[in-house]
Amino acid sequence: MHLDPFELHRPATVDETLALARELAPGFDYLAGGTDLLPNYKMHLNVRPHLIALDRVSELQEYSLDRLGAMVRLADLDRDPQIARHYPALAEAVHGVATPLVRASGTVGGNLLVETRCFFFNQSYFWRASLGFCLKADGDRCHVVPQKEKCYATFSGDLAPALMVLGASVEVAGPEGRRTLPIEQLYAAEGDGIQRVHLRPGELVVAVDLPPEGRHLHSTYRKLRARPSYDFPELGVAVSLRREADRLTGLDVAVGGLETYPRRFPAITQPEVGQTLDSEGIGRIAQAIQSAVRPVHNTAYPPDYRKRMTGVFVRRALTDLWAARGAS
Amino acid sequence: MTAQTVLRVQINGHPVEVPAPAERILLDLLREDLNLTGTKRGCDLGTCGCCTVLIDGRPTLSCLTLAAMADGRAVTTVEGVSAGPTLHPVQKAFVEHGATQCGFCTPGFVMTAVALLREHPHASREQVMDAISGNLCRCTGYTKIIEAILAARPGSSH
Amino acid sequence: MEAAPPPEHRLLGGSIPYVEGPLKVAGRAEYTDDLKRPGMLVGKLLRAPWPHAKLLRIDVSKARAMPGVYSVLTGDRYPIPFGVLPITKDETAIAVDRARYIGDIIAAVAAQDELTAERALAAIDVQVEQLPEYTDPRMGRTRVEAPIHEKGLNHSNIQKEVVQHFGDVDEAFRTAAATVRVRASFAGVTHAFTEPQCTIAEATPDGRLTIWSSTQVPHYLHRSLSEVLGLPMHRIRVIKPEVGGGFGGKSDPLPHEIACAALALETGRPVKILFDRDDVFYTNHGRHPTFNDVRIAADADGHLLGYDIEAVIEGGAWSSFGTVTTYYNGVMAMGPYRLPNFRYKGQRVFTNRPPSGAMRAHGGTNIRYSVEVGLDELAEQLKIDPFDLRVRNALPPNSTTINEFRITSTSFLKCLSAVRARSGWADKWGRLPYGQGVGLGCGFYISGSNSPIHFTPKMPQCTVHLKADMDGGITVHCMQADIGQGSNTLLAAIVAEVVGVALDRVHVSAVDSDITPVDIGSYSSRVTFMMGNAARRAAEGLRDRLLDATHQLTGYPRDALQVRFERYEVDHRPDVGVSYMDALHQAMQGTGALQSTGSYTSPPVGGTFKGARAGTAPAYSFAAYVAQVAVDAETGVYAVEKVWAAFDCGRPLNRLAVEGQIHGSIHMGLGQLMGESMDYRGPRLMNPSLLDYKILMPHQMPEVECLLVGDDDPEGPFGAKEAGEGPLVATLPAVANALYDAVGVRFYDLPITPDRVLKGIDRRQADGRAWKGH
Repeated sequence: MHLDPFELHRPATVDETLALARELAPGFDYLAGGTDLLPNYKMHLNVRPHLIALDRVSELQEYSLDRLGAMVRLADLDRDPQIARHYPALAEAVHGVATPLVRASGTVGGNLLVETRCFFFNQSYFWRASLGFCLKADGDRCHVVPQKEKCYATFSGDLAPALMVLGASVEVAGPEGRRTLPIEQLYAAEGDGIQRVHLRPGELVVAVDLPPEGRHLHSTYRKLRARPSYDFPELGVAVSLRREADRLTGLDVAVGGLETYPRRFPAITQPEVGQTLDSEGIGRIAQAIQSAVRPVHNTAYPPDYRKRMTGVFVRRALTDLWAARGAS
Repeated sequence: MTAQTVLRVQINGHPVEVPAPAERILLDLLREDLNLTGTKRGCDLGTCGCCTVLIDGRPTLSCLTLAAMADGRAVTTVEGVSAGPTLHPVQKAFVEHGATQCGFCTPGFVMTAVALLREHPHASREQVMDAISGNLCRCTGYTKIIEAILAARPGSSH
Repeated sequence: MEAAPPPEHRLLGGSIPYVEGPLKVAGRAEYTDDLKRPGMLVGKLLRAPWPHAKLLRIDVSKARAMPGVYSVLTGDRYPIPFGVLPITKDETAIAVDRARYIGDIIAAVAAQDELTAERALAAIDVQVEQLPEYTDPRMGRTRVEAPIHEKGLNHSNIQKEVVQHFGDVDEAFRTAAATVRVRASFAGVTHAFTEPQCTIAEATPDGRLTIWSSTQVPHYLHRSLSEVLGLPMHRIRVIKPEVGGGFGGKSDPLPHEIACAALALETGRPVKILFDRDDVFYTNHGRHPTFNDVRIAADADGHLLGYDIEAVIEGGAWSSFGTVTTYYNGVMAMGPYRLPNFRYKGQRVFTNRPPSGAMRAHGGTNIRYSVEVGLDELAEQLKIDPFDLRVRNALPPNSTTINEFRITSTSFLKCLSAVRARSGWADKWGRLPYGQGVGLGCGFYISGSNSPIHFTPKMPQCTVHLKADMDGGITVHCMQADIGQGSNTLLAAIVAEVVGVALDRVHVSAVDSDITPVDIGSYSSRVTFMMGNAARRAAEGLRDRLLDATHQLTGYPRDALQVRFERYEVDHRPDVGVSYMDALHQAMQGTGALQSTGSYTSPPVGGTFKGARAGTAPAYSFAAYVAQVAVDAETGVYAVEKVWAAFDCGRPLNRLAVEGQIHGSIHMGLGQLMGESMDYRGPRLMNPSLLDYKILMPHQMPEVECLLVGDDDPEGPFGAKEAGEGPLVATLPAVANALYDAVGVRFYDLPITPDRVLKGIDRRQADGRAWKGH
């Protein structure tokens, strides 16, 4: 398999990057680790004539417990015992991404912005031509839910749900300057599998900021997939909570792998804060979240199973975290 | 054809200059331009791990790496794991333990194992299994591959 | 009794690392795609995007006119059909008149590089009339509007129908004390070898064609090339470089191989066709998607009275091995039990999907699943331990099955007792807590199809040539196709063992049809048995010449001489002897290099009724496996924690290879059981990639304990039988029966994915059944 010819740009600073972006828009993609973009390019999915590689932009490599540059490699997070100690949900999410070889190249920013996935999209040009192209690439219809308006490709990143429940925010840089937004606001709930993030043209994820409070949370990330490596999430559940004596002082649940965006459930979780958490309460939360999610049939496992597992995974995560003693 | 850039890469310890267009993939550069065919093309999409090489010591999928990204860096392929006709302890263990059957995935496993034992000379079985969980093998059921890597640890009794 | 090698065996019976291992671990083994030829062009194939279409007009003029394009071929240029079975030749190098599945080859291009070739393909204009598509084999058995092949039975899509009846099955069921019925469905699975197919062809001005190809069947490829291209076989040279796995997926001559040769003939330049991974999936020839319906009758003591079996198997677009597969889906139920009555009706039905073919444990896997699950149900019904049920019914050695399979050696009872003891069955079965369980599954398999496909059974299936020259090296020539199973190593070891020399003196030169005598290929688990015997005979011929020379040098009578390591000695007089080199040089006087030939011709076995040859073999392997599972009953996710694999391959000649075959077979069998599936929506394969076709990774593999308990087979080389396919079949039912022990649910649809486990548990609970079945 080969790549169609493109021009490769390798800026050294964020400003240079943004200047290039302005000049080349919209005919470019950013290239981070390449483990998501290049397979798609090999399958001729939304190929652009320019690639702006981010590997030489030193600011994006920044790495501390409070701040993860967009180009930090997942493998480096994976082997860092400090991450595992302070942010268990993040460590579990990172370790669950694809394979060690993908994590060796894959980056934090790349996983946050990983292309949404679908049976009908992640296929060769030949395959897609044979069926008729879809909304997300080269066509005008959706094969998952037959209509012509909305793309149902599934958000398949692992890091986003974990970072959401850790209260992380993301710094983006663009032609109009920099801004910071809570990570959940990066994703477009009102959008679809195509209009999936709130990034303005040319905007670039610079880093993820982890608030110090995140270190005092009990947190976990649980992933459903066919094999313990390789596979994208059929469901990813991230949960964080704080407990003081028998009282819940913080609770957050986010899921990925089910819909077009990773999703938090403050309307379900916030009323629980201040209460104690018994198995009945846990069951209620799990059931409410299970009822709220709407997976479609475009991944390996059937949607009814993924929906049902959402309840089981949330319940188990809550039960385990509630039972854990003391804050770290 | 797009413009070619001359890449300067250390390949198996030797400095090499090789012209390549921007879209050249490292795996193709190795196999087609440099005739280093030990690195295998199994799926070309980053799943099977047959194309694993080391870039600055890190196991990397060469099928998902632009050749340009290797500019100025050190690439080790299976041909460069051992000096001359001798075998690296990992390679020797793969032979002795029957960890290679059809052999097509073997270069990728060897590279993964070499990198693992360099970082964790006393890797546990669990660490070995984790490390190879991005390399697919269809022949061995992995059993003898795991045995071989464990046996290749320095001081191992095998 | 015990399989320990006699003292004279230095190598055989031990663990022999593969002779080509050092090349493989160093990246120096040469696979087809590692080869380049001067002036080589890139070949690419245009695949049909329609499931079923009449090809009205293919306009290649634009593509032909493109710079850098050397040839554009369509099906009309080489329209002669071919196929692995002479009776069902229905494949063509490139589709003629009709495209039969999404992925069918409709044109081929040779160009200066990949990009040019792809642009040329895109410039080909094809006009078609789409035909009705057929994707459910059960629906294709009556008259259809547009049969996929004209020869379909009664204007249907049935490719082959088999009806067999031995004894009186109706009577057996009338008198039975217990009957069970298993109706099961099996998704198609595919080989998923790591090396995508690759072929290089080169036509030279001397009128010859040379082809390098990743194939298990160089000889059948040789024949097909000759037929389709109209070249006599002696002007074609077939070379098989290292092959990166086959498992049956490279055991047909394949269209792209012929198309590649055709492009080479057209252009006069070497042409390489390398598959992308999705090409591998479209080429498929994997295990048939199957529906089977198995009824079993037994008396009150559990003695089997009869099987009544129906199977509908999905052939996809071509015949391939399908006629054999249709028989196998019945007759592979014949062992390892004594069976007085047997009825089978099997139908193989064409569909507009990628062709099915032979895959490891060909034809024997799905039927074995249903039989062994049925026996587990029968044991429960009769309140007999599943082991006892099988012991009561075991086929004895030197017996004949009702369909006239000749059974010689069987250590099935030893397999049963070994695995029963080692697995701790008595303490576990029915006694583990909810969610944990053990299960038993058994099987047997042919140790080589007794019938060579393309010529009379009187011709040898395998010939081995040896050459020993002044340097003391022995070169072995044989067309056996090492695809990773270790046949080169076994060939070398047998020769070294018999001649009494160091293994590194023996060099296997394979495969090159100009040099290597015919072996018909690596399929049907025939190589160890057949090549092993041929090699042994060739080596004995050479050894005899060396002993004659020793006699000449020492004066001691020929029958007083013994083979020792690198030396021939007089019995009880180790001081009197001759070194191998001295004996060799003595033997070469006046003749030059020594040559020796050995061959293997299969014995006349089997009945004379129609289809009697299907499933006949000179020997059979036997297996009894216990699997232990742990099920998360809330998610349906389960782990196979351990498999105890008792296997009768006669004498294991290379333990390393036999264990490797067992591990690999369990991996592949578990894959089919747990998640592998050719996932279709209508005619469309949804998962043609190694990401979406889910072969198992290390954490999903159980611990495996191999129990090699076979007695010597009387006709196998040094007592050996096959170990390449038989180890697969028992895996699937052992796990399914363990799942039943764990959660009280029978599973009749494969793969058994977690969502199906959960649905099964739901169903059981809704029915108000307890999980304990026994």
